[in-house]
Amino acid sequence: MWKNIYLWLDERLGFDSLYANLLDRPEPKTTWWNTLGSASMFLFILQGLTGIFLTVYYTPSPDHAYDSIQYIMEGVAFGWLIRGIHHWGATLMVILVFIHMLRVFFTASFKFPRELTWLIGIGLFLATLGMGFTGYLLPWNQKAYWATTVGTQIAGTVPFLGEFTLKVLRGGPELSALTLQRFFAAHIWIIPAVLAALMGLHLYLIIKHGESHSPTKED
Amino acid sequence: MNEETKKQINERYERQLDKGERFWPDTIFKDLIMSLGIFVLLILLATFVGIPAEAKADPSDTSYIPRPEWYFLFLFKFLALYGQLPLIGKIEWLATVLVPAVALGVLTLIPFIEKSPHRHYSKRVLPISIMSIMVVGIVLLTLMSEVPTVSEDGSKLIGTLQTIAGIFIPAAAYILFFVFKSNTRLLIWTTSLAALSMIILSGTVLALAPEKHGEEVEVATTLVDQIVAGQDLYSVHCTECHGDDGSVAIIAGVEGLEGEKITPINSRDVLYTITDPSMYEVIAYGRPNAGMPPFGKTYGGELSRSEIDYITIFMRYSWDDRFDAPEIPELFPPLAEGEAPSYDVHIQPIVKRYCISCHRPDKDNNNYLMTTYEEILTTGDNVANNIIAGDENSYLLQTIQEHVIMNPEKPDEEMIGVMPPSKALKPNVIEVFIRWIMNGMPKTAAEAGVLFQSPTPAP
Repeated sequence: MWKNIYLWLDERLGFDSLYANLLDRPEPKTTWWNTLGSASMFLFILQGLTGIFLTVYYTPSPDHAYDSIQYIMEGVAFGWLIRGIHHWGATLMVILVFIHMLRVFFTASFKFPRELTWLIGIGLFLATLGMGFTGYLLPWNQKAYWATTVGTQIAGTVPFLGEFTLKVLRGGPELSALTLQRFFAAHIWIIPAVLAALMGLHLYLIIKHGESHSPTKED
Repeated sequence: MNEETKKQINERYERQLDKGERFWPDTIFKDLIMSLGIFVLLILLATFVGIPAEAKADPSDTSYIPRPEWYFLFLFKFLALYGQLPLIGKIEWLATVLVPAVALGVLTLIPFIEKSPHRHYSKRVLPISIMSIMVVGIVLLTLMSEVPTVSEDGSKLIGTLQTIAGIFIPAAAYILFFVFKSNTRLLIWTTSLAALSMIILSGTVLALAPEKHGEEVEVATTLVDQIVAGQDLYSVHCTECHGDDGSVAIIAGVEGLEGEKITPINSRDVLYTITDPSMYEVIAYGRPNAGMPPFGKTYGGELSRSEIDYITIFMRYSWDDRFDAPEIPELFPPLAEGEAPSYDVHIQPIVKRYCISCHRPDKDNNNYLMTTYEEILTTGDNVANNIIAGDENSYLLQTIQEHVIMNPEKPDEEMIGVMPPSKALKPNVIEVFIRWIMNGMPKTAAEAGVLFQSPTPAP
């Protein structure tokens, strides 16, 4: 019976061509340095999953954000683990994406025909930093509040556009409930959507061109 | 790049593929191991390191030293050092906007800037040198981010060293890179020497850095911790007027508010009608017309947002009959027969709860301060007679046992009233003070342990 189910699905989904196109591909000899990209993607998925769990209890308002996280840590079964993974995953993701970028630079993997992969990679790096920056405010504790205050102040020093940028980021001249609300929206909808789309392109290009090989003397 | 080069690159790649592996299962296998390793690492970090507790955001607390996310620390350090440069140091947007924007622009456009088709390290010495210095700089600036640029004695040496390591050496290296552009050997020498001197200088800065003694902010995370923290804060700030159980209806013994009538704050009238947010405002803003001063930092008081929250939680769980209090640990471990109490274990928590409210700076207390071990023994107008090791007539012991001390020169003038003025201490607390002074005021538990006298069996 399983065979019949498999055949029925295969007729409609085409497992064989999926296997041939995605999995059964030749690759040059890879090293552990080549795992950093997929590790970053794994972290993105893990951050997504733990993040979804956190939104079940988290409230993005100055009155309740702090207490709702307190409740996640103390009251929810394994809440401390989920938040712990999300917290440390964020730190690790920034480090991994950065080292991944350095690896690509030092092995010159960004050169023909992979220039576009690099450009999209930069977008992914910036989006990762954006996730870190917006997520940092959400616990609404002292560290978060003041880090965001100084972070957005930097944007305010841009000549001519500074004041406008600052107001867009904060939703007003000061950090307020609006800031928290829009950082939350950016953190769970806007930036992840951008990140996922860019990741899709990045992956498509990697499958299309294959992973680059470690440079040899003749390269 | 011409078609011929492209063809060569593609041919070389084909040759590598022939010598290579299969994506499934070879490459994926490594990826999965790596991801699994990361997952395990994250679980370990979450379990054994956890997330440091932080107090609730408090916009009024301007004393909090703002620090950005750790991965932006290098940028802030760079800004701080840049600000020290003469002349251009004043043009802020050069460092906050122009330098990062140019760096990011170069990073983005690398494939179009580095146009040579060569990939091997030996043919890319210049780009690798530039990037290496950049990475070394970023890492070192991050490590130095906590070190101030001016030491406590006003010396700017430490800031100068940081500026040399973080700005001047990299800048000089970049200039030299373009002078030596075509000489591989000189490029490698410049990079190594620059990186080495940056590392050595930063190491010196970190070694010279003043030790951190930042104020430890206590953050209570569990309900029990919050209630205890609230009780301690209440003891310090509120007991003076409201009494240690909130029952005071007419204030006594407080300068300026003597005889003031107030509503007992442990009553239903208060607890049932004032919600937590209103309670917060009352404590933060005070009741100026009724003589209650503001306690919140926003209005010039001493308490942060979190601290006021703790006090409210303490009040609810102690006096509000709609709340079931969890079990609260004892203030101090009970004394065994013959055991000598110590300052660290017994006296400090007692003093914090019952005495510090008045016996701290800027209060009416005959200059007797009790915030540290040394202060308890060495301050006050009557320091000579206050605490005398082994003397039951020490003033402190007299007053807590409800004996008023009269002025020896004018026998009918009261010099020290009973302590605490509002309500006598419990007998077991008085017992701790007596034993502590009779045993010579040991500070640590170890010192007190030596004095332990096992009870002599009755004859």
